[in-house]
Amino acid sequence: MRLSSTIVCIGLIITLSAYSLHKTAKPYIIQYPAYFGNRIFVPDDNPETDAGVALGRMLFYENALSANNKISCATCHKQELAFTDEKKFSSGFDDSLQPRNTMSLVNLLWVRNFFWDGRATGLEEQAKTPLTGIHEMGQSLTVSVEKLQQKKFYHPLFKNAFGSDTIGEDMIVKALAQFVRTLVSADSKYDKYLRGEYKPTQSELNGIALFYAAPDPANNIRGADCGHCHGGPKTYSELYQNNGLDSVFTDAGREQITHQSFDEGRFRVVTLRNIALTSPYMHDGRFKTLDEVINHYNEHVLKSSTLSPFLQNKSNIVNGKQLDLNQKEKKDIVAFLNMLTDSSFITNKNFSNPFLN
Amino acid sequence: MRCIYCFLIFFFFMINTSLLFAQSDTLKPSVTVDGEVTKPLKLYAADIAKMKHSTVNVLSRDGKEHSYSGVPVLEILNMAGVTMGKDLHGENLSKYLLVKCADGYEVLFSLAEIDTTFTNRTVVLADSTDGKLLPSDRGPFQLAVPGEKKPARSCFQVTEFIVKFAKE
Repeated sequence: MRLSSTIVCIGLIITLSAYSLHKTAKPYIIQYPAYFGNRIFVPDDNPETDAGVALGRMLFYENALSANNKISCATCHKQELAFTDEKKFSSGFDDSLQPRNTMSLVNLLWVRNFFWDGRATGLEEQAKTPLTGIHEMGQSLTVSVEKLQQKKFYHPLFKNAFGSDTIGEDMIVKALAQFVRTLVSADSKYDKYLRGEYKPTQSELNGIALFYAAPDPANNIRGADCGHCHGGPKTYSELYQNNGLDSVFTDAGREQITHQSFDEGRFRVVTLRNIALTSPYMHDGRFKTLDEVINHYNEHVLKSSTLSPFLQNKSNIVNGKQLDLNQKEKKDIVAFLNMLTDSSFITNKNFSNPFLN
Repeated sequence: MRCIYCFLIFFFFMINTSLLFAQSDTLKPSVTVDGEVTKPLKLYAADIAKMKHSTVNVLSRDGKEHSYSGVPVLEILNMAGVTMGKDLHGENLSKYLLVKCADGYEVLFSLAEIDTTFTNRTVVLADSTDGKLLPSDRGPFQLAVPGEKKPARSCFQVTEFIVKFAKE
């Protein structure tokens, strides 16, 4: 009886020590500019910690999380490409192609719902999909835990991050989410301009003006009104729109999640941060260049019952049916989009492969 | 002969089943009312159509005034048991109404902005404009907020009303 009580006490002490270790894990402070705003999303049960972020970074580059031990998150999310992979559709571990274009991982701290159709609430939920998808990394979290248990160097890392000697499935996705939330891009030419540290060229200034202005030909105001959906310094709002790519939909987009007919053909409005690095564009990767994207919005928007009202009847000529930007204006907008490339983001060692450094 | 009979029964059963799935795959649009309410609501177009309507004029994105007919948001909040009217005082004045739309757009009002004991205007959840049903890219429910210079809060395809306390 006395022996069993002692064992229970020791067990309690070990558990409490582990718990307090986790509770005392050093918080990781994510730095971002005030003009991004504080509407950030960090779940109460997964606060950012130094240890959690460091572990998440290793797991992000860990091939053992895939069924064939050959691919990791970083296979499709390459840092030098703002965490995309230049492919129209990425390949899974079994070489099958994914149904939609790989999204960049930039400034996700401000995002609530993930994927092109917003079907995953929170980065923890999002992380499970590629890890366990049968044509993505193709491995259950149970098997991933078993594989990581066999790599002894992970044991102290999980203990530091979560206070437990036993690796749990939820710890894998929580650590990954912690790391991905740190991927903040806020040091582009545009940021330097906002901070008063960079003087844009005339073309870039014209591009900024066109990007944000709604066309008003009656008052001689020319614009593209991109900022209506991509507005603000983050160039992102959590919106879903049908942007006129098709009039008949082979991919119903958000309708598949909400089962509402008004969501047919709607997809996420993406951030434009580092957009010059994340070709090809759109949910199906149909456009290879930013010029093609601008041409689409300028003169190829297709009508359908769910076409965004914000892409209708906007023109730089009175009673016009399309934007009608001229070639110079298109180039100016691309000049602005190039301002959103953040070289320090794609070379930040804190985001790079820890197994190589 | 019996085999053919059985096959036909099976065949028609499968067709009926697939039709059922096809019909149930698309949901009817609705507006839910939740949060600081005593009676959460889920209102469909038929429910809205039965309720007493008011008509307001709103400056729209085309720069012209259009008429919108719909149910006063105050009536909907009253149905849900939100602290409006004589109950809108004290700490209840720190409550807000968050309006969510299908495309992810969100706008916010303090409850006092909606309550006609505070303001002369009537904000409505409209189901028609200029005598016609709302167009499919804006309906079936649009918020119509009269008296504003910008139409940014007269948002399209409303799906949720959420009432909350500001707690900062």
